[in-house]
Amino acid sequence: MLKMNNISRIYQNDTIQTHALRDFSLNVKAGEFVAVTGPSGSGKSTFLNVAGLLDNFDRGQYELDGVSVQGLKDDELSRLRNEKIGFIFQNYNLIPDYSIFDNVDMPLRYRGFSASERKRRVEEALEKVGLASRLKYLPSQLSGGQQQRVAIARALAGEPKILLADEPTGNLDSLMARQVMEILHDLNKGGATIIMVTHDPDQAREVSRNVQVIDGQLADFRVYAPLDRTKGNAGETIFNAVNEEMADA
Amino acid sequence: MNIKALLKSLLLRKFTTGLLILQLAITLGLLINSAILAIDTNNKLAENTGLDAENILIVSLHPTSGEYRDLDYYRSIVSEDLQQIKKIPGVESVSLINQLPINKRGMLGNVYDLDDPELVRKDKYLQDVKIFLTNEELGNTLALALLDGRFLTKDDELDFASDKNGNVLITESLKKALYGDGSALGQETNNGRVVGVVKDIMLNPTIPADKQYGVFGNRVMEFIFTGRFYLLKVSPGQMEAVRNKVSDTILAVQAERDIFRVYTMAEHMQRFYRHDKGLSQLFLMLCGLMIFVTAISSYAYSQFHISRQKKFIGIRRALGARKKDILLYVLTENWLVYTIGCVLGLAMALAFNILLSQYISLSKPDMMLFLLASAIIFVAGTLATLIPAIKTSNIPPVIATRTV
Amino acid sequence: MRSDSMFFYNLSLAMQSFKRAPTLYFLIMLTLSIGVGVLCANLALVNSMASDPIPEKSDKLIHISMNTWPGDQPPDEPMHILRYRDAMKIAESDIPKRSAVFYASGVYARDVESTSMKRFDSDVRATTPGFFELTNAPFAYGSAFEKDHGMEVVIGDELNQKIFAGKNSVGKTLELDGELLTIVGVLKSWVLRPLFYHATEGRAFNLTDDIYAPLETAIDLGWSIHARSSSADNYSGVEDTRDKNAYYLQVWVELDDVNQRSLMQSYLDNYSQQLKEAGEHPLATRNELHNVNEWLSVKKVVDQKVLAFTIASVLFLAVCIFNASSLLLSRFHAAKFEVGLRRAIGASNRHMLIQGLTESVLLGIFTGAVALVLSWLFLKLSVQFLPRLANIAVLEPKLLVLGMLLALITSIASALYPLYRANRYTISAELK
Repeated sequence: MLKMNNISRIYQNDTIQTHALRDFSLNVKAGEFVAVTGPSGSGKSTFLNVAGLLDNFDRGQYELDGVSVQGLKDDELSRLRNEKIGFIFQNYNLIPDYSIFDNVDMPLRYRGFSASERKRRVEEALEKVGLASRLKYLPSQLSGGQQQRVAIARALAGEPKILLADEPTGNLDSLMARQVMEILHDLNKGGATIIMVTHDPDQAREVSRNVQVIDGQLADFRVYAPLDRTKGNAGETIFNAVNEEMADA
Repeated sequence: MNIKALLKSLLLRKFTTGLLILQLAITLGLLINSAILAIDTNNKLAENTGLDAENILIVSLHPTSGEYRDLDYYRSIVSEDLQQIKKIPGVESVSLINQLPINKRGMLGNVYDLDDPELVRKDKYLQDVKIFLTNEELGNTLALALLDGRFLTKDDELDFASDKNGNVLITESLKKALYGDGSALGQETNNGRVVGVVKDIMLNPTIPADKQYGVFGNRVMEFIFTGRFYLLKVSPGQMEAVRNKVSDTILAVQAERDIFRVYTMAEHMQRFYRHDKGLSQLFLMLCGLMIFVTAISSYAYSQFHISRQKKFIGIRRALGARKKDILLYVLTENWLVYTIGCVLGLAMALAFNILLSQYISLSKPDMMLFLLASAIIFVAGTLATLIPAIKTSNIPPVIATRTV
Repeated sequence: MRSDSMFFYNLSLAMQSFKRAPTLYFLIMLTLSIGVGVLCANLALVNSMASDPIPEKSDKLIHISMNTWPGDQPPDEPMHILRYRDAMKIAESDIPKRSAVFYASGVYARDVESTSMKRFDSDVRATTPGFFELTNAPFAYGSAFEKDHGMEVVIGDELNQKIFAGKNSVGKTLELDGELLTIVGVLKSWVLRPLFYHATEGRAFNLTDDIYAPLETAIDLGWSIHARSSSADNYSGVEDTRDKNAYYLQVWVELDDVNQRSLMQSYLDNYSQQLKEAGEHPLATRNELHNVNEWLSVKKVVDQKVLAFTIASVLFLAVCIFNASSLLLSRFHAAKFEVGLRRAIGASNRHMLIQGLTESVLLGIFTGAVALVLSWLFLKLSVQFLPRLANIAVLEPKLLVLGMLLALITSIASALYPLYRANRYTISAELK
């Protein structure tokens, strides 16, 4: 689904060159739920930006759902973002003067769907997150958790190949965070591929795979045993070299 | 997101948007009315005068010496002038006259048929008929179109001490006012016996076209001191040559004359409307400045608006909006503002039109002008916002993931 | 001392602010000064046209219009021009302190002693001697003529410059249309704006006359009438008009005090009544008295085109203020971080307000300076477009002050709302 091979992203100002990503490689298969963790400044945000086609990279290859993205024009990147990716942001990024309906509807408009198709999809997506009754509300009239659920609905409405979540519960209290995580897990069970950047080790432990970014590189990866919530057991940890993992892919 | 901050920001935007809409409306109002003024003036200048204005030369002059108080001396000089001017190559005919056509004031008098003096009470324009004192050449000089009867002749000039009324030529509209559809020939008016009727020429542009009443009598030699203008009919293409010679010719006959101005009938018409034209030019200048200022405002408005919307633009980009989608989005937003501005501007134009007509005369605005002026506003506004709009479309989508 | 240094601190902050966004402040200054400049130029024209030309006694100088036309279709009702005998009837009254009866004419003038035959086209005021004291005509040399008759003239400064190079020409003789008249007085440069004594026929902004001649002499010499005249009778020349129904004389009287107006009114009405009873005119008695300012307003001497343009320039200034306001709003928005910071380290709302006001006052001063230059320019431009205004296009000192004030007011006005906004940005919101 997502294949990154030796991606480098270098930020340059007058005096300093910063390698935000350094020969970064990662392979995510369809249906996986990957948590990306790492200390702040490690490059995990850059990874997410590059993965979401929000930012470009300087070296390496990146293939998204079979499409090789390097060298694509801006408009083509926009189309890919619109069709293949669903974003969930830490601060929801809803447009404050748009109603809930209009917010979810917005990316569909750029897709060029007919009005009836958009309406169907918006309602369906909001149904999934349990907010079908709040179509006409403004974001400011909802709680933080509800706003994030709207954002998830917006991400889902386009039926993307992959969901990218950037600290989706970072601004939420634990109860609301729980609700949001449950939705994400449900989606994953339903077959959705999800990549989530998080700093919460508990959340990282709950997912099918956790990768850690340090100094712009994938430091290691851990595969947890299938989650057994009743036991609260974190399971066994296996360490492997990154390159070997890539070789498997 | 807190509700209060959001409301505040909306209010803030309402204020700037309101300001811009007001500016647009005022600009459109002024633009429309300035265009009306300019069109009115052009229409006035384009009106048919009934004269071959390009080929008629006017010399306005006045004697400066006391000798001219002797009217016989005055007449002899003028006769010599007329002869010498006629000899200038390119001059077809020349006459002397007391006042010019295309003028508001001048020598006016009431005119009525001796049998029906009461007519003057019914038609107020009959009280202020232009009385032209001229000579027998006038018909040729102004190329008047004879409708009935004959032009004035040398024989129509009376003895200078005579208190008889002579023969006169009248304009068509005066004939209609006095005699309707009947013939005027041989009728006696208080100003003389009608011997001919000529097609109307523009005597006073400030009154209706069918009220151009005029009486021409062959009496300028009698009242020689009223003869302030020589009129020259010049062959096509000879105007400059004649214009260069005429003053010298006159001064060579007798030097003690003050020649005020040598100008064509067309220039005389331009002079008549000079202040109308000046005013419309001033208005157009103000319009230009106003559009400039409003364009700056449009620019600042979108710039300001965009700086506040940066984050949301980034989100749109992240969710799949292409650059041109953003460009269209920004421009559409501006066009919406312009549309409101223009609609309000229509009301402004009407109000401004009413206000201005308290002071000057101008036509009512029409739809075509409104659409044209709106188009100008749209083009100017779009040009002014193009740069900020392009800048906006270049906002990178990565902004969406930055937490503020 | 403290407030002093605060003031200079604010000044330096304002300068820094200008330097930080020079294009923006330049645009604000430019648009505001264009707006103020255009309006100021127009107000200068209106001011010239609407001013009181003789404030010391404008309420005591009365113009007289009468209704004595012999037929029932007068050219006007009442008429501002009178016939000779009506005018003389007023002149002989002892109710007013003095009177002036005059008409406008024109002659060609030359110094008889000059070797040059060049004659100067000169505007003539043929008048009774009361004119000079009534209008406060300023004499440079000599004095007024004393009688209605006599081959004497008073000349204006401009003609004296042209013919005698500005020297004392009293006693010199002029050849005027072939007649010899002696100069008894020379006026100083005399500006009357408007020319109240002849405010009709679009002459209200003409210059004062070149030659002032005794009325009876001018009539005898047949100096033709160069202004409006209406006649119910035929006449061969001015010399023939004294006993004709020829209307061409304007009459002004000076009253000792304004209460005499009613006396004057009844004097005229009495006279009209007598005429009417004698069957000399069929019209109703209608005599009108106007003091200087009333007369100027009745005659609408303020150019209507300029008034129309003034309205347009007021609107334009409004647009300029709106423009400046939205520019400032975006400027203050951009600077709100700094505002937040200053607030956080203890600047009070008042401080911030004073700082903002200092900035707009400074901007206003710059704007004013540019606006004054521009208004001079626009005035020149207006005269190009409307040449008739040439004699009134002057920027008086009070207009300069007004322009400066306008600039300050507009500058502050356009900053008011942006300042109010800026001071409501919460400290915490900007500094997190």
